[in-house]
Amino acid sequence: MKWLVILIIALLAVTAGCSSPSAPESAPAPEPTVTGTFIKGTSGGDAETLNWLLAADASSFSYAGSAMDSLATYDNDWNVVLRHLAKPVQVSEDGLTYTMTIRDDLTWSDNTGVTAEDYVYTLKNLMFSDWLNYTYQTDWQETVNDEAVFVEPEVVDETTFIIKRQTVDPEFADNAIYSLMPYPKHIALKYEGDVKAFTQAEEFNNLSFTGNLGSYRYKEWVRNDKFVVERNPDNYLGRDDDSPYFKEYVTKLLGTSAAVNAALEAGDITYTGVEPEQVAKFKQMKSVKVFTVPTRGYDLIIFNLRNNGWDGLKNKKVRQALSMSIGKKMVIDSIRLGFADPAFSFIPSSSPWYTDEGVPQYGFGDLYDKDKAKQLLFEAGYGIRKPGGTTAVQDKDGKPLKLTLATTPGGGISENLAFLVKQELGDIDIEVDIKLVPWPTLLRQYVMNKAPGTDEEPRYNNGPEAVSEQPWELIIMAFNTHPIAPSGSRVFFTTDGGLNFWGYTNPKVDKLFNKVTSREALDIDARKKMYAEISQIIAEDQSVAFLTFPRGNHGFQANVEGIDVGMRLGWNYHKWYFAEP
Amino acid sequence: MTERGLQGYIVKRLIYAVLITCGVVTITFLLLRLGPSSPADKYLANMSARTQDPSQVIAAVEARYGLDKPIHEQYAEYVVNLVRGDWGWSFSTSMPVIKLIQRHWVYSFQLILLSMLFSASLGILIGVYSAIKQYTRTDYLATLLSFIGISIPNFWLGIMLILIFSVQLGWFKSYYDTGLPMFSLANLKALVLPVITLGTGMMAGYTRYARSATLDNLRKDFVRTARAKGLPERVVIGKHAFRNAVLPIITIIMFDLSGVVFGGAYLTEIIFGIPGLGRISFNAIFANDYPVVVTITLIGAMVVLLTNLATDIVYTRLDPRIRYD
Repeated sequence: MKWLVILIIALLAVTAGCSSPSAPESAPAPEPTVTGTFIKGTSGGDAETLNWLLAADASSFSYAGSAMDSLATYDNDWNVVLRHLAKPVQVSEDGLTYTMTIRDDLTWSDNTGVTAEDYVYTLKNLMFSDWLNYTYQTDWQETVNDEAVFVEPEVVDETTFIIKRQTVDPEFADNAIYSLMPYPKHIALKYEGDVKAFTQAEEFNNLSFTGNLGSYRYKEWVRNDKFVVERNPDNYLGRDDDSPYFKEYVTKLLGTSAAVNAALEAGDITYTGVEPEQVAKFKQMKSVKVFTVPTRGYDLIIFNLRNNGWDGLKNKKVRQALSMSIGKKMVIDSIRLGFADPAFSFIPSSSPWYTDEGVPQYGFGDLYDKDKAKQLLFEAGYGIRKPGGTTAVQDKDGKPLKLTLATTPGGGISENLAFLVKQELGDIDIEVDIKLVPWPTLLRQYVMNKAPGTDEEPRYNNGPEAVSEQPWELIIMAFNTHPIAPSGSRVFFTTDGGLNFWGYTNPKVDKLFNKVTSREALDIDARKKMYAEISQIIAEDQSVAFLTFPRGNHGFQANVEGIDVGMRLGWNYHKWYFAEP
Repeated sequence: MTERGLQGYIVKRLIYAVLITCGVVTITFLLLRLGPSSPADKYLANMSARTQDPSQVIAAVEARYGLDKPIHEQYAEYVVNLVRGDWGWSFSTSMPVIKLIQRHWVYSFQLILLSMLFSASLGILIGVYSAIKQYTRTDYLATLLSFIGISIPNFWLGIMLILIFSVQLGWFKSYYDTGLPMFSLANLKALVLPVITLGTGMMAGYTRYARSATLDNLRKDFVRTARAKGLPERVVIGKHAFRNAVLPIITIIMFDLSGVVFGGAYLTEIIFGIPGLGRISFNAIFANDYPVVVTITLIGAMVVLLTNLATDIVYTRLDPRIRYD
């Protein structure tokens, strides 16, 4: 068999080049020049469409956004950075009229100018239309006399348009306006009213209309492989500094995080997210630099307050006791490997609305106390005193407590968290039965609910009587938040919130969420107090046990310069460059 | 067998193939369209967050993709369009299915073809050599390596090859680059690790089959007669023992080929970032993208039917005793 081994080695040697990856030498960063191809590796899914009005996945928005900017974005300190806007959005004193003035040097690919009419057309005729059913329509709606109505866009002149509201929402610009991207009216008119034609429109499916609206422009999209944009020499942002500085920017899809990390290590890609367990290895490599930044997501345990969960969970003291038994520090150290911050509400510490004043920190510091948790459960009627003075936790009928915890499988964070929760609750005599179910099954059988005995379509929140198909007590999930405009979290924490699937209700919270999007909240201090109160009540109620705000790790080849490190890491990606080719 | 008899057999098999293909299309279409999932599922969470009625969400998205018509109308429309060469619009990739297949089949084809060549040629060679050298160290080593080859999971081998030959030695790129010209040395080089990953398990299997089949034949009377006639050992093995041993192996190779086409290459495609049909179909299944799934199933079925037919024809050429008339 020796010859076989020799043959294979020889085959490998003949077809292979003999260069090995080498570490770049450290040198002062030179001035940016246009050179090279930046390759971002990812193990995530591919986009579904570049026709972003039809999209429902993050990759589609990301791909489209690389060829076309929106009205504005944020930097790492959450300052608004103008993009297509020529000047900041003007809000009338009564908070009802928003005035947007766009740059006068924006053009479509056929060199016709981008006008305010294009924006208003995009809103009124496409996003608000019945025939297209834009996924995020309700971002542009307000409730007037208990009815959802669209805001009213209007053209003022060539570069100015206004949006009129009937109710005040101080976060309207953050939640809707800044992310607005236009469609060219003169092209879209051809497809208006015909959803099939619009869906299959070539111009929108290959972004051939984007003119000078982005730093890069579409070059190639090989499905399930790569999305390639090339430097757009005409782009409006590059007029002063000749940016962007990469000839091409490629998003390369690799099937597994192991393959992506290997590609970064081999120097075959320029950048990727790094798994926590790989950070130490990459930090030791001279050829790679790793940045750790806060993220917008948080993980949490959700308690079922509906009628098909354990009755005890309807008692606030019981929920507090459970949260008190699950150590956030342990989660951070053993599961997030140190790359996370403890979470006590849905507002991260990087948000201007964050406060820890009066927010109970269950599962952390003094409030991580299993004896106290047992005591609380005993007081709630779920325990007995043993002759030695110790407390044994049990159900009211004297039987051992057994809770069902559902989450997604795959050996990832959720699964590890599930086993940690099982261990922690085991210490207070509660047995946890873990159900690892695929995401679609979790949604359909555990999360979506409907009133028993009715024919209604299951949804995430179908009113107080609704229950899921499968009974459950705990679900581990991750949610996202908007640090600058967290009022969007109302969908989780208000009684009628569309994603409040666990049945949480507190009229005070409902009222406060209404107030943060009212005239009263135009006063920044007043709004801060409202958010503080919401955080306090939600943390006190513990309808969910907030666990951590994970930090993200980003690995770059060492020769990439110009990166502004922070939560919004890519906000200035058009200014990134190679210090050497 | 007469040429006429063979022609009749082929025509009969082709008629069966058409009937089976129709059945495959119908069953796959109905399974996907009558299942509980909908292409609108992915929109539900986003739209429900905004308190929209899920039934309206589903209705709107289904109208977008023409899924709001009665199922029999959808089926009839689909089949008519299929026959006309319009294979539908892929929801999950936003392009016509025919263009999607045209763009991606070649990545699977080159991987599968090279893997089959690699595994079959080396596997048979080692198996036959191992049989000739039965109970020697070479035979034991070949057996050991075969068992290792069969036992190693594709995904593990692929990652190991990347770590050794890409990360440590830097000989190969860690992923496949679709930008390379198809008929170039660079493309061949890019396929070396994927081919070894996909082919190793199959090669190990063929080694075992070839060894066993050759040993069977070496004990047969006609081999003994050939040796008694004083023919050189090279001729005895090559012309008599090997030719008879290769028949069952061809069946296995063809069977494997259908298995690989039906998704066996998926893991290799995932590890090396190859956008082949395995990866496309896997994603399409999760996205409920039925036009893509039905088309790839149809292609898979046709490959199986045609390879089986080809196997039968090859049999008649290799063994004149086999007759179909």
